Amino acid sequence: MQDVIRQSITAVSSVVLGKEEQIRLAVSCLLARGHLLIEDLPGMGKTTLAHALARVFSLDYRRVQFTSDMLPADILGVSIFNPQTREFEPKDGPVFTQLLLADEINRATPKTQGALLEAMEERQVTLDGLTRALPDPFFVVATQNPVTQSGTFPLPESQLDRFLMRLSLGYPSAEMELKLLAGSDRRQLAVNLKPVASGEQLQHAMAEVRKVRASRDLIDYIQRLLAYSRNGGLFVAGLSPRAGIGLLNASRAWALTGGRDYVIPEDVQVVLGPVAEHRLQSLAGGAAATATQKLLESVPVVRRQ
Amino acid sequence: MARVYQVPQHAFIWLITGSLLASIPQMMNGPVWIAAVVLFLQCWRVLVQRGRLRMPGRVLRISVLATAVGLTLYSYGTLFGPDAGITLLVCAFNLKLLEMNKMRDAYVVIVLNYFVLATVLIVRQDFLISLYVFVVLFFVTAALIGINQPEANIRARSQLRYAAALVAQAFPLMIFLFVVVPRVAPLWEMKSDQKKAKTGMSDSMAPGEVAELSRSAELAFRVQFIGEAAPKPERYWRGLTYSWYDGRRWSQALPQNISASDVVAYPSRFKPRWYSDLERSAAGPQYQYRIILEPTSREWLYAMTTPFIEQNNIGVVSDYRLISASPVTDSLSYTVKSYTRMPRGIDAPRWEKEFNLRLPAEGNPRSRAQAREWRAQAGSDDQYIARVMRMFRQQKFFYTLTPPPLGPDQVDDFLFRTRAGFCEHYASSFAVMMRAAGIPARIVAGYQGGEENPLGTHLLVRQYDAHAWVEVWLPESGWVEMDPTAMVAPERIESGLEQALQSQGSEFASAFNEAIGVSRLPILKQLASAMDYIEFNWASIVLGYDGMTQTELLKKWLGEVSPLRIALLIAAGIGIIGLFFAVLLLWRGRRPSLEWWQKEYWRLHSALRKRGVEIPDHPAPGRLVELVSAQAPAAAEALKQWRECYEGVAYRANSANLNGMNKTNSFDKQSLKRFRRIALRNIS
Repeated sequence: MQDVIRQSITAVSSVVLGKEEQIRLAVSCLLARGHLLIEDLPGMGKTTLAHALARVFSLDYRRVQFTSDMLPADILGVSIFNPQTREFEPKDGPVFTQLLLADEINRATPKTQGALLEAMEERQVTLDGLTRALPDPFFVVATQNPVTQSGTFPLPESQLDRFLMRLSLGYPSAEMELKLLAGSDRRQLAVNLKPVASGEQLQHAMAEVRKVRASRDLIDYIQRLLAYSRNGGLFVAGLSPRAGIGLLNASRAWALTGGRDYVIPEDVQVVLGPVAEHRLQSLAGGAAATATQKLLESVPVVRRQ
Repeated sequence: MARVYQVPQHAFIWLITGSLLASIPQMMNGPVWIAAVVLFLQCWRVLVQRGRLRMPGRVLRISVLATAVGLTLYSYGTLFGPDAGITLLVCAFNLKLLEMNKMRDAYVVIVLNYFVLATVLIVRQDFLISLYVFVVLFFVTAALIGINQPEANIRARSQLRYAAALVAQAFPLMIFLFVVVPRVAPLWEMKSDQKKAKTGMSDSMAPGEVAELSRSAELAFRVQFIGEAAPKPERYWRGLTYSWYDGRRWSQALPQNISASDVVAYPSRFKPRWYSDLERSAAGPQYQYRIILEPTSREWLYAMTTPFIEQNNIGVVSDYRLISASPVTDSLSYTVKSYTRMPRGIDAPRWEKEFNLRLPAEGNPRSRAQAREWRAQAGSDDQYIARVMRMFRQQKFFYTLTPPPLGPDQVDDFLFRTRAGFCEHYASSFAVMMRAAGIPARIVAGYQGGEENPLGTHLLVRQYDAHAWVEVWLPESGWVEMDPTAMVAPERIESGLEQALQSQGSEFASAFNEAIGVSRLPILKQLASAMDYIEFNWASIVLGYDGMTQTELLKKWLGEVSPLRIALLIAAGIGIIGLFFAVLLLWRGRRPSLEWWQKEYWRLHSALRKRGVEIPDHPAPGRLVELVSAQAPAAAEALKQWRECYEGVAYRANSANLNGMNKTNSFDKQSLKRFRRIALRNIS
């Protein structure tokens, strides 16, 4: 199983160059059944990453480009009147897929964002009173332009909380950029990528994540991190219990991608940034990342008394 | 009308259980109709809770109450007094169950429930019933907790757990208050007739009456010897003496010119001369023992001969027996010292000697003639007594529970015709023979022997140990106890009634067993003796802890007993118990202490700091090892092993079960310590 995971990461890395850590985090996020938010400037390879992930794990893949005139029906689907049967028939929207790439989610109006985010949480869609489950697994990989850009509707905190992780890819290194320019079209490469893991193997891997052991010491560490985020005076509001569960599951998945069946504090420390930063607002006014780093430095890994 | 208060379902279960269980003892002790009334009301209440029936209207409630009052009046003839009162209380309490319209009513019902439960102890106080009351206490408390939890989704069982915790916390306080709070005599007498003894000694005796008593296996009293136990042949528990004989019946009596106060001494208050003289002449073997007497509703107390006692409200009578100042209605514990062989009554007053010589003017001519003849033949009183004893031993006398009926001249009939009788026949005829020969004699009634509990150090004296024997006065030795029954059936004295009857013939024994229903199953016998052992300790430790024992204990603790000191002691006790629970709660709620591997981490951490290795304040163990290895490569190998060991213990093996304790692997503990030492050696 761990071979499959490692091969998947390697395969995605062959498309998205020089971003091993982000790819491993993205894979961990999927294995922990979490939704992923990629925040970056346009053209940094967000779409390519999402596409590559879908190919590697042999998932159905749909892409929706979010725009400001989009309506919830454009995502969820509509009921259409069929004159022959004289009945309304549901017409599924793009959300009925296994991996949905919601491109530039912050360009859509809050109403549309809300429709998607509800589907993410409930893993089901209600259309004209008819509730239908979404496929299993169901992942949303949303990309977002930094909110400083014009024409965007920033996601409210409550909705950000539904993404397990937020990643940003950043510019490639000089070496990798040379490779990138020299190589063939990245998008094409992603399309041609061979599946590494079958749907069954993915399900199995996700089940494995649940079995990764989190000891009492480790859970205690996570709890102290959560408590400090609330009482430590670093953030406007501390991490929610949902964030705490997410942190633990992400740590488990990270440990599994590292080939371990138990979690060590380093796992928690690695995933804390991606899991927590988008949910937190620094009280001091600086970047959330700085405050999260401060959090890690303030909480002893091993209980002192 | 305002909305009717609905008892939460989870509380209702305990409310109905508690009220039913608190009513059951009264249903069993009281008149038959009370069970019907209680069950009727309880069923109604259950149906109301289930929505099948409505609460009864005022007319119906009043008519049920009137019925209960009428039936009580019919059963007891009065509405006052504890028994009628308890009966009425139980009815009214169960009726109140059907009048719960507000939350306040539910509180009233629960407070009443506690009260009804307490009234159970007015009637009986033995260990089993106390245990029962204690258990019911849990249910009532659970109901009280339940009605304070209006939420719907609560499991009824959780209240029982809370109640258990609450009662457990109250328990030490209860014991402390029981020991310390002064016993205030109640403002009113709470003496229930239900405790009235059914069997026991009476103030007169006719042939056949002791035999009748012997058919009961009811407990008379328990004896616990302090120090040496008296040998079996000396275990004669004197209860009363009969001096007056009317030809058929022996009765307790004093001459007309002697008043009871002349012959009774209360040594704890005042010692009259005759008592001090008696005390001064005390000599010979002595035994100290405690008696726990079952309620008799009589004044007589039991003790071996020549008893001395100094206990409030217990008196010594000049015929060497004990009495209580008031009838014994609760079990009574008293400690006596007896000198079993000391001579007493050599200087007995003349009236006493004369009074114990009287015989009816007529009757029993053959016996009287025989007595005069033998006395004339015998050289002395002693020889005469021996002659009479020989008669009992040598002629064919039978010891039996079912003696044939006697004619008008009872002693003649017994001595010369039937020759079959129980102890009172022998005692009575012996005393008559003595009086006829001019030797003062009286009957002593009480118990003889007793069964030893195999588990405890105490004797059980039952009604079938009832016995009658004789005391004669001789000029040189005073009043001397004699037992003619011992001549006929020596086993009676040595081994008890059962053995004696068995040796006389099996049909008597089986009749006896049938009569008293003694179980022959060994396991039941063992169970019974174990139960009795508990009951005995309960009676001697808990019920025997009376005002006097308490005063003595307080004197030992406080020196001088004053209200201020008692108040301070109570305050201090409550404070200490409260503090204990406060500390216990704090201790439970405190942060868990460090595990050994966590201590090991900090030991390594501070040792590295001391050696000047640059490390953050609290890195992850793996990070720590990496940082140190980079600075001191020599220690890298040991540190790597330390890390593996640490992560194995803290993160791999350690289960996440937050409640369970982790198993400590001593091997891991040693390894972790060793790797730390090796690593540190390589750094310095």
